[in-house]
Parts: sequence; C-alpha cells; structure tokens
Amino acid sequence: MKNFSHLLIKEIKELINKQLVISLVFILVIFNFIGNVTRTEIKKAMAKQKIAVLDQDQSEISKNIIGALNMANFLIEEKAGEKEKVVDEIRNSNLDLLVVIPQGFGQLASSFQPAEVETYSFLRGVSISGRTKSEVVKALLNSTNEYLSNQYLKNKIPDADPKLLKAPIKNREFVVVRDRQAEGSSAAVIGALTAQNFILPVILMMIIMYSAQMVITAIAMEKQNKTLETLLTVPVSRGAIVMAKMLAAAVVGLLSAAIYMFGFRNAFNFTNMDDISRALGGVAPILKQLGLTVNTQGYILFGISLFLTILCALALATILGVLAEDYRTAQSLSVPLVFIVMVPYFISLFADINTMSLPAKILVLAIPFSHPFFAMQNIMFGHMNMLWLGIAYNFLFVAVMLWWTTRIFATDRVLTMKLKWRKKKVVL
Amino acid sequence: MAPVLEVEGLKKKYGSLEALKGVSFKVEEGEIFGLIGPNGAGKTTTLRIISTLLTPTDGRVIFLGFDLKKNPEKFREKISYLPEEAGAYRNMKGIDYLEFMAKFYAADDSEAKKYVERAVAISGLGERLKDKAGTYSKGMTRKLLLARALMTKPALAILDEPTSGLDVINSLEVREMIKGFTKEGVSVLLSSHNMLEVEFLSDRVALIDRGLILDSGTPQALKEKYQASNLEIVFRRAVQ
Repeated sequence: MKNFSHLLIKEIKELINKQLVISLVFILVIFNFIGNVTRTEIKKAMAKQKIAVLDQDQSEISKNIIGALNMANFLIEEKAGEKEKVVDEIRNSNLDLLVVIPQGFGQLASSFQPAEVETYSFLRGVSISGRTKSEVVKALLNSTNEYLSNQYLKNKIPDADPKLLKAPIKNREFVVVRDRQAEGSSAAVIGALTAQNFILPVILMMIIMYSAQMVITAIAMEKQNKTLETLLTVPVSRGAIVMAKMLAAAVVGLLSAAIYMFGFRNAFNFTNMDDISRALGGVAPILKQLGLTVNTQGYILFGISLFLTILCALALATILGVLAEDYRTAQSLSVPLVFIVMVPYFISLFADINTMSLPAKILVLAIPFSHPFFAMQNIMFGHMNMLWLGIAYNFLFVAVMLWWTTRIFATDRVLTMKLKWRKKKVVL
Repeated sequence: MAPVLEVEGLKKKYGSLEALKGVSFKVEEGEIFGLIGPNGAGKTTTLRIISTLLTPTDGRVIFLGFDLKKNPEKFREKISYLPEEAGAYRNMKGIDYLEFMAKFYAADDSEAKKYVERAVAISGLGERLKDKAGTYSKGMTRKLLLARALMTKPALAILDEPTSGLDVINSLEVREMIKGFTKEGVSVLLSSHNMLEVEFLSDRVALIDRGLILDSGTPQALKEKYQASNLEIVFRRAVQ
C-alpha cells in the first residue's frame, strides 16, 4: 500500500506538468473570450435599439404601431419625405431597419381591407441583433393583425368569441409514459428533458477522452524516457504499477474534464440556466406525474455505469499505451478511441437507440462507452433491463481488460508488444 | 560459500529466433562478473531475465537461494538493474528521482534518507541534483542512474553496458565508481561489448556469442589459455 501511494503521487505529479497546466489555462482563456464576445453581442441585441420609421399615413393606427414599437425596446427615429430618399439616407447611416407605413394604411386597416407595412433590413453582417430586430417588428405586426381581425369579427358577429371563431377545434394533448399519463405537450416534455440533460453527453465524452489520453501518454512517456524498464525491476507488484497509472489518469482526467466543463459552462451560460429552469418550471409537474425524474437510486446506478465505463476506457487505453513507443505514437493511438467515444455521443444527441435497427443497436451497445450515454434515458423511461445489461457488460469488459492488462505487465509483452509496420526488431 | 547467483541452461526464444541456447554461469559474493560478446550475442537478454523483465523459455536462475520462476519479487528486493538505454523522469529533479527510487527499497523514511545521501555521494553531481533530470547531459544521467542502482547496496547490481555512449572522462569515472563499490560487498554482473573495459573491471568473465557461453574464467587465466595479450584476442580465438 505504501509503495502504491508512492507510485500514485509520482504518476499524478508526472501528469500534471507544465504542458497540461498551460493547455488548461489556454482552454479557460479561450472559453472566456468566446463567452465575453457572445455575451456582448446578446447584450447589444437586448439593449434599446434604434430603428427608423417613415410614417406617411399619420393615422391613429399607424401612431399606435409606432407606440408599440417604442414599448418593444426600440428607439424610434422618425423620418419624413420620399421613401426612396429615406432608404438612401439609411443605407449610408448605421441604422439597419426601416419601417415604412404608407399613406392610406390606417384607412385600409380600419375598413378591414388588405393594408401593407414595408420593412427594410439593411444587412451589414450576420449579427444576432440584425435578425432579432426584424423578428420583433414581425411579431408586433402579427399582434396588430390579431387585434384588427378580432375587432372585425366582433363588429360582424357581436355574440361570438373571435378567438373561438378563428380556432374552433381545440387540441388537448396527453403524454403517456408506460402506465402513467399526464396532460401536456410531448414537445414540451422532450424539450425539457433535452434541456435538462444537454450537457451530460459532453461531460461524459470529455471525461472518457481525457482519462484515456492521460493513461496512454503516461505509459508512452515511460517508454520514451526509458524509465519503464527500471520501474519494472523495483520491488513493487506489476498490478500496483498498472493501477497507479490508471488511477492517476482517472484523477487528472476528471480534473481536466471538470476545468473544461467549467470553462464551457462559463462561455455558454447566456442561454441561460434561468431560462431552462423557468421552462422546466412549467413542465416539472408533468415530468413528475410521468415519473420522468431521477431519484437517488437512479443517480447511484448512473454513477456505477459511468465508473465502469471510465475503467473500460482506462484499461483499453493502458493496452494502447503499451503498444505505443513514444508520445507521438501515443497521440495517434488515442485517435481511434476518441472516434469510438463519439459514436454514442452523437447517437445520444440526434437519435433514439431504442428505435434503431437490431444490428445497429448491437453495434452501438458493443461499444463499452455507449452505456452511460443512454443510462439516464433508460432510468427515466424504466428500461431497467437495458441498464443492468449495460452495467453487466461493462463489468465483464473491465474484468477481462484488467486481467489482460495485468497479464501484459506481468510478462515480457510489456516490453516486446509494439505496433510496428516494419519487421519486429529484438534486442539480444 | 554458495554463489550469489547461479544460472543454469538458460534458454530464451522470441518466436522462431533462439536468443539464448543454454547459458550457464555463477557469480560469487563481492565479485565483478563480466559478460562479454558482440552486439546480438545475448548479453542483454540474459541480464533482462535475471532482473525479472523477461521470462526464460527454459533453464534455472537461483539468486540467494530463491528461484526466479517462483520468487521474482525476492529478486527485485535485492537486485538493482541499470539498463543500457535507461533514463530518468525528465520533469523530476535529480534528488527527487533518487528519493522516489529509494522509497521502494527502504523500510522507513530515515533509511530512504540514508540511501539518498549515499547516492548523492556516489553520483558526484552536487548542486546539479537540484535541477530537473531533463536538463542533464548523457554522462550526468548515467551517473545519476548508477548512483540509483548502487545506493541501496544491492546483493547484486546488474549493469548493462554501464559506460555506453559516454566520453573517456565520464567512462573512467563510472568505472571507478563500480570498482569502488564491490569493496562494500556488492556483487556486480555487467555486460559490455567493450572487452578492454570488462578486462579492467572484472574479476571473472564469460565469453558469450550467439546465445552460448564459449568460455569463462579470470581475465588472466583466459589470456594464458588462449595465449593472447588481451580479451579481444581471447574472444576472437574462442570464436574460431
């Protein structure tokens, strides 16, 4: 145990080197920069923005529309004169939206005849604020349309409810999950679940990738620095050497993933978590009613699935590390591992494993990293057999891999196993 | 007195390649035993087997009464191995590396401290031990590693080409370090293709070629037997 902790500390110190610290700091700086730029853009889009309005009508309705635009966070710069001249003037200014209310608009609208408002968007780039401005104007016109059509219907059929007239069929939506049912929209439920879990696959991918890369590098560096042979002859069991490397890689991998996620969340929290919570707030009772919540037992099962998957990645990476001759080969060998992790990552984001064809499903589930990606879904939707099967499969995979890894370290193969395209060279 | 190390009929195959075809020799306590032979003769394979890095295909290795196949951990406790192309952890200071290695052999911190102090004296690297090993020259690294191998006063120090790649001055210093240490009861098994070096260092030598021991004895006895002025000529005549 003394030798194991001694080795573990050395492995952790070796992994947390200058290069790793610099790359993590760099990641944080880059994420911070991206976050600041995006937040500034969003702030710009949310702030009171100037738009130009050319009111050629000067009617009560047109004044109401301008008033509504004022209320909708716009600073109105009223223009006068010929439309073409105003368009020319704005083309050479920094304004990028012009609303033209033509003469006769009010009269046409109040007599319920087609009336037009023209909006001119001056594109000078593809910023968020440019897009949102015209969307807000469109939404305002839609509500004006709604108001006018309601007025029209009230005049024509005073006893009827205009809303009912426009939408006589009402859709009551129900969502059914197994033996439970709740009134609500399936889109909202799926949206809430996606929003709740959108970060999970990213975290999983980062943890697996970082840990695996750490252990491959740790072993490859022992080979490159020619320290492995000496280490293998000191009075410490080979199992302890392997476990110390794997545990150190897991610790440093988790730490790196945590720092990465911290930076990622800081950069992209503008959406933001409050919005998600608010959105979930409405759907939360429905989720509870449908049993789509995770209890303590569920979290424990998810933790087991994740832990076994990290062990799978570490064991597999240890073998790849033995194959590597130096740091460069180690980097190339970790590439296939990264791609394998990406398969369940993308499937969990864009597809439903349960609706995939059987061969495709088997292929995906044969990847030991797949299981935690689908574990949360399996827990929530009660696919417990799938969850347990995944845990059992990963347990078996880890057992076989650890046995194999320890065997490799206990025999000549730790020194003689090489991934070489040339003919094997043996030092006599 | 029983020999420290007994090697009997040692064989090693890498696939179809027979690297060792039945190597036998003994190392007595406090002696320097040299294995000499050209590149590819089987020296490194023999040393790697004794230091528990490789498993023999056949044969027996007995060290202080322990059988290699049954008790490899006993070998690791009492043997120090210096591989031909060894290195130290580049991001570790020389002194930290010695401390790291000492802790595997020491029963407690005070014993580890004694080992490190001895290594500091053996290496002669002085203040440079406070620098990272990555900044050392080849000669300095070799001295650091040799100090690491000898600091625990192992029952058997296995040194594979101890002066490989070193300049004349560094080679001389390393040879003196090795020679001086046997006075403290340490047995040394070394290999080299530099036969003059082995002649200078060794009490007894074995001539190895193509996986077989051709002959063994004291350098003087071998020179007399083959009527040669040095071991290089002895080796050439033994091969013929």
